Amino acid sequence: MIAPSSIIRVSHLVKEFRTPKRAPGILGGLRTLFTREQNVVRAVDGVNFEIAEGELVGYLGRNGAGKSTTIKMLTGILVPTSGEVVVDGLTPWRDRQRNALNIGVVFGQRTQLWWDLPLVESFELIRRMYRMDLPTYRGELDRVVDLLEMGEYLRTPVRQLSLGQRMRGDLAAAILYRPRILYLDEPTVGVDVLAKQRIREFIAEANRADGTTVLLTTHDLRDVERLCRRIVVIERGRILFDGGVDELKTKYSPGRRIVVEVAGLEGPIELPGTEEIRREGSRVWLRFDPTRTPIAPLIGQLTSRYAVTDLTLEEADLEEVVRLIFAEQSGVKP
Amino acid sequence: MTLAGFPAMWQFARMEAQTFLTYRVNLGLQLLGILLQVYLLKVVWTAVYEGRTEVDGIALGTLIAYLTLANLQVWAIYPQTAEVLPPRIQSGAIALDLARPIGLLVQLIWRSVGATLGLVALVVVALPLAAVLGSLRPPASPEAASLYVISLLLGYGITLAIGILLGLVAFWTLETHGITILYHFVNQFFAGALVPLWFFPDWLRTVAELLPFQTQAFLPLSIYFGRLVGTDALRAIGVQVVWLVILWLAAGLVWRAAIHRVVIQGG
Repeated sequence: MIAPSSIIRVSHLVKEFRTPKRAPGILGGLRTLFTREQNVVRAVDGVNFEIAEGELVGYLGRNGAGKSTTIKMLTGILVPTSGEVVVDGLTPWRDRQRNALNIGVVFGQRTQLWWDLPLVESFELIRRMYRMDLPTYRGELDRVVDLLEMGEYLRTPVRQLSLGQRMRGDLAAAILYRPRILYLDEPTVGVDVLAKQRIREFIAEANRADGTTVLLTTHDLRDVERLCRRIVVIERGRILFDGGVDELKTKYSPGRRIVVEVAGLEGPIELPGTEEIRREGSRVWLRFDPTRTPIAPLIGQLTSRYAVTDLTLEEADLEEVVRLIFAEQSGVKP
Repeated sequence: MTLAGFPAMWQFARMEAQTFLTYRVNLGLQLLGILLQVYLLKVVWTAVYEGRTEVDGIALGTLIAYLTLANLQVWAIYPQTAEVLPPRIQSGAIALDLARPIGLLVQLIWRSVGATLGLVALVVVALPLAAVLGSLRPPASPEAASLYVISLLLGYGITLAIGILLGLVAFWTLETHGITILYHFVNQFFAGALVPLWFFPDWLRTVAELLPFQTQAFLPLSIYFGRLVGTDALRAIGVQVVWLVILWLAAGLVWRAAIHRVVIQGG
């Protein structure tokens, strides 16, 4: 996707991590000190993409696929091994501080908030770092506190906050100064459904109302479905898919799954539009495509033909989508 | 470092001081330990003097006051940068420090300043106790007092640079406990906090004068007690300036190398 107004441009980006090869055994550690042998891991291996101003892009991949490493190069935290990153005309690692003025960052696994101090102190630091005058700051703070419902715990030390509260605090800290670009690395990891919902709405609003460019990584497909129109999928450091969410779904959807418990079942379950993918005792997993096979008649047929004692629907999960894409790319049938 | 960035830097200092004072009971106990050490030094040195009022031209009263101030000073200006950085590198929290619009070293300096201000506040509160367990004396003259302040600030600048160097080592080794413990010992001894450099044998004195640690306690306090005056005092300050420049250049170089080695732990 090449757009003339790309705010983020990544080309031939590579990041290698080197670790000394460790010999096994008690003396292994000692030998490590004197050996020059190294393991080289290519966490990011020739990545190219561009993001236009105002886009909201989901960046997906399994654990260790290279998502976070890419984001850390985009934010200037890591220096690339080779290749190029240009964000709003700057090379992030070289112009780290100037780049930082344009971006907001949330790493769901970590916090930029000060652990022992009331939440509002961290916001005061943001105000001063980004040189916001007091009226602007108060206005923004009110707006953000209101949207994320943080009023009750603004004066609570961060260490006493729940994960969901802390995450909202981090999101607020990343957005108070209205950066042009937001990097959100798993901003919903570990938070409850309600907090997730609030965080999603907040991100959507920032993108819609302010035109903030957002790059989002997540393991929750519902985040992506709710928020993103475009998705980039990375696997083992390489881009596997770059395109629309709809395209991804129709092309790679593993379908939805129905799990049924059938008493005294012998032989396979045969229903048009479904495929049996797994069986454990009396439990059977069936895959179907909800766009072609409507759910209600399917359940009707199942219950009338078989002695169904229990029935649940399972969502398609990201792991499986990515596995399917990966399988296709390497030419293997899933 | 521009003037416009100052409010943010001051906020770093303020927040670090507040964080430090959250754990004031722990710090109070540390300080009590320092004062007990001062008391024990007083007991031992009084015994060493055996009723003599002077040894090598140093009066016992001056010596005790010197040891009291030296130990408080070394405790209060301990380079917190050495303690702040390694855990942030180990946990990966460094990622967010690096994503700020203020350089990492500037953040570290101001966090250290904040921590030190918190510690200095505690020391000031504990001064009456220090006067009882050790001894306190005013500076030798107004001139000595003002040169002492300059010398102490230079010593603090040096301690910050050493702290940054110690902290940056974590980019290579992750773990720096061994090095900081070694630093603690070497610094305390060569700063002259246990035995003033006046009493070192010549060869050891030469070694001490070649190291930067004497700038932490011995040089500023020699000025304070009027042992270094006039051009000698100015020469001592010159030595500190030289160390300040050398160590900050080193810190800058090491930082440049470190930035290429940044690995964020924990993904």
